[in-house]
Amino acid sequence: VYYHAPPPVKAIPCLTPFGMKLETYLRMADIPYEPMYGRSMGPKGKIPWIEYNGEAMGDSGFIMEFLNREKGVDLNQTLSDADKAVGRAFTKMVEENTYWYEGYQLQYCKLHVDNFDQLQDLFELPWAVMFFLRSVRGKIRQTMWGHGLGRHSKDEQEGIIEKDLRAISSFLGTKPYLMGDEPTEVDAAVFGQLSELCWANHDSYLHRIVTVDCPNLQAYCSRIKDRYWSDWDQLTKKTKKDQ
Amino acid sequence: MSESPGNVQGSLAALYESLQTSVLQLFTDPTQLSPGQAVLVAASALFVGAVVWTCCGGQRRTKVKLRAEFTPGKIYYHVPPPVKAIPCLTPFGMKLETYLRMADIPYEPMYGRSMGPKGKIPWIEYNGEAMADSGLIMEFLNREKGVDLNRTLSDADKAVSRAFTKMVEENTYWGLGWYRWIDNFDQLHHLFEVPWVVTFFLWYVRGNIRRTLWAHGIGRHSKEDIEGIMEKDLRAISTFLGTKPYLMGDEPTEVDAAVFGQLSELCWANHDSYLHRIVTVDCPNLQAYCSRIKDRYWSDWDQLTKKTKKDQ
Repeated sequence: VYYHAPPPVKAIPCLTPFGMKLETYLRMADIPYEPMYGRSMGPKGKIPWIEYNGEAMGDSGFIMEFLNREKGVDLNQTLSDADKAVGRAFTKMVEENTYWYEGYQLQYCKLHVDNFDQLQDLFELPWAVMFFLRSVRGKIRQTMWGHGLGRHSKDEQEGIIEKDLRAISSFLGTKPYLMGDEPTEVDAAVFGQLSELCWANHDSYLHRIVTVDCPNLQAYCSRIKDRYWSDWDQLTKKTKKDQ
Repeated sequence: MSESPGNVQGSLAALYESLQTSVLQLFTDPTQLSPGQAVLVAASALFVGAVVWTCCGGQRRTKVKLRAEFTPGKIYYHVPPPVKAIPCLTPFGMKLETYLRMADIPYEPMYGRSMGPKGKIPWIEYNGEAMADSGLIMEFLNREKGVDLNRTLSDADKAVSRAFTKMVEENTYWGLGWYRWIDNFDQLHHLFEVPWVVTFFLWYVRGNIRRTLWAHGIGRHSKEDIEGIMEKDLRAISTFLGTKPYLMGDEPTEVDAAVFGQLSELCWANHDSYLHRIVTVDCPNLQAYCSRIKDRYWSDWDQLTKKTKKDQ
């Protein structure tokens, strides 16, 4: 499995939540892979993507299903059918709703003049590339408008995403993982999204919810990080910034 | 040069007829279209598109026309009118209206095609203010009218129902959009019950929807992949429902309004389709569930759907 994703930055091994999700899944399932860091887009125009036996595949969800069949993996084997359904529902919620917080962040928080240098720090790009990001911001705004979420005001968007996070927190409760004592596929998906909030979004309202208001979410993220990402510090240290 | 009115009328009629032939030609066998016909169709399409864009607005907050006089505390509920297939063609309309009926909140339906303050439907007017987004409207009305359909649920159950609501509204919904607008576009004007001329407008909307689906991500998949995604969603709902009468137990809760909103479109407004077969044949508990909610909260279904423009 040749795994294509953007290179790690100081804050987090992968800036796209689907990359964190896919890589966490590969580590949970013990599937060896070779990371090919770069910025090339996959066959469907999105990242991450993989190459396997000479074929390119896009979309983390499909890749996971394919590898489940190909490698005989089933992280959900201990779950009942109803629990699998709940896992799917949470996966979809976090990927189709909470995911858009990135768009919200870019729209309201990061690309304002006073936060410009923060974004540059996060992405670790030369300042010239930041002008390019302005046009990306316009595109994201259009996408969010089309999706529907972008039509709400800032407070409404925050409210929607906050309710998602609180729902995950309520459902998690005191369990170590979302569906019980052992991690399942939904944990990869939820960790993918929450890790971005925990580590790549300091001093933001949503960060406060994940750490202060719902501390079990922060504990949950740290738990998965410690178990599957023991090389986190090595990955994030070796970034371009130090070279 | 002055022309007599008779001549102008005659040439307009001839123009209209050749336009009609061209449009039919376009949709049946575009390769046979002559250059003149193509130009005529293109010009008309541009004209209709321009008119439509000005009327319906681009990407900006829509200024809605509110009622000058209103009864305080009364809900004026704006949706497109019922069609033969279903009382409301938008799943969020079905959801919101089912919620209003579940919560016993009286409302006055204002059938029309005006867009709400965020450019979407359904929307409501309440105490002189326009409000949009079925989810936000439900939260507002819960507070305003002291309603809580979820009061019997634990916090964890409320979280699960939020997850299912989001799945069905942010994932299955787009599959339905793809299915209706991209895959089965030729059925659309039958479903919507509009004259053929409106097909231009629908074509324009279809392009918009295709771009939205691409931006969302789901539009990048092949037909089989999208059907697969939707099928898995439906099977997940079916598995979770099991033998229970409603999703979270013996009594309906908010998530039932949302799920019924989406599934009702599949059950009754999408015949002879692969997805319809899943809801009826493969997962019969979904069909039973939809019929249960329809019988309980939509006893006037037949009256609403019979009185449609088609019969007039």
